[in-house]
Amino acid sequence: MKLIEKIAALQDRRVLWILLFVVGLALEQVAYQIFQKWLYMRPCEQCVYIRFSMVCLMIAGIVGAINAKNLVLKVIAYIIALYGTVKGIGFSLKLIKIGEAFRSGDPFGVQGCSQTPTFPFNLPLHEWFPSTFLPTGDCGVDYPIVPPDAELSPLQKYLTDAYVDGWYLIPSKHFMNMEQSTLLAFGTIFLVLVICLVSWVVVEVKKRRQSA
Amino acid sequence: MKHSMMKRGFLALALAMVLVLTFSLSAQAAAKEGEDYMVLAKPIPNMDKTVIKVFSYDCPFCYKYDKSVTPEVVKIIQKDGIKYTVWHLKTKGKYGPQASELFAALITKDEKAKVGLFDDKSSFKKAKMAYYNAYHDKKERWGDGKDPAAFMKTGLDAAGISDAEFQKLLKEPATQARLKQWEGAREIAGIQGVPAFVVKGKYLIYTKSIKSINGMAATIKELMAK
Repeated sequence: MKLIEKIAALQDRRVLWILLFVVGLALEQVAYQIFQKWLYMRPCEQCVYIRFSMVCLMIAGIVGAINAKNLVLKVIAYIIALYGTVKGIGFSLKLIKIGEAFRSGDPFGVQGCSQTPTFPFNLPLHEWFPSTFLPTGDCGVDYPIVPPDAELSPLQKYLTDAYVDGWYLIPSKHFMNMEQSTLLAFGTIFLVLVICLVSWVVVEVKKRRQSA
Repeated sequence: MKHSMMKRGFLALALAMVLVLTFSLSAQAAAKEGEDYMVLAKPIPNMDKTVIKVFSYDCPFCYKYDKSVTPEVVKIIQKDGIKYTVWHLKTKGKYGPQASELFAALITKDEKAKVGLFDDKSSFKKAKMAYYNAYHDKKERWGDGKDPAAFMKTGLDAAGISDAEFQKLLKEPATQARLKQWEGAREIAGIQGVPAFVVKGKYLIYTKSIKSINGMAATIKELMAK
């Protein structure tokens, strides 16, 4: 069996869709449990939109996993997943632009963030789940703000100190900030989704031609 | 035959480019509604010759604008007799209400002494910059809402006044009137966040469309002439 057929066949099993759900959940949990709750980094307006994109991945994963062989469900799952990743890429790019203006002396061309988010489809997510979707920080400000009465564990202390200039994948080198990292994550997921979708369509078309 | 067709194609292309260029140039010259600014549904009365800046101490881009943009823009527009005023937004930040009270009182003090908002002697400016500096550069959070006295101290010390003097200024009718007027800041800030600049009490400039100091001054003058 050729690679393209393998990729196509994989989507008829639940595992790939469950993986999509797990990836979305993991990203969301890292953002909320680790960065926000544990390291006191406050989410901004664009950040909560990015979380919305992560939730799209989770929903797409669930829809796909209901019955991976069902054509309609698969198409719906793909639409939600691609929508989520494209949105996620857009939010990340916007945050990159705001972040650059924030860090440089040139404040022009961007609007700082609002405290009242407007989610796609006007979903009042910040009212339904304020802990996750209500922005409490400002765009560009992603360094930890530790409450004065907090008692930090040695690891917490180490990490909050490391991120004192803002969050970076490699703090000492200032390499890959938060928005570049989310862009990379959504970009990668988008690429994988497109490869899977194309493989599936190509194989499906071939099959139908052969049976016709 | 082929040659003349190519020539025609080139001509068409050149013409198209010229058209695009003229359009983009004219677009730069005139501020467009919906793109560069919007008309407020509820205009603010008695602001015919004034630009209002809605801001908060707890707002990184307000700090950036106050550091390098707004003072320069105000210098330019003042030459045309355009007035400039500030509204502090009390609903942003843990100490929004305290900051509003202090700023309103200090502006009363400055007005009595006939000191401008950007004058180095302005007590309002001193307190404002002290808060910006503490909050954004030194990451001070004053107990995150639990220590209003510490927050007040930063501003009072910078402005060089005692708490008693502040309390006296706060009770003055000018201060109370200002605070009442500032209640309107919330609605304006709700549209696109802060900083927000409102010209003539009517036109809200989209902050993201501001590209330079001169551009911003030109937009304000243009809207003022409307």
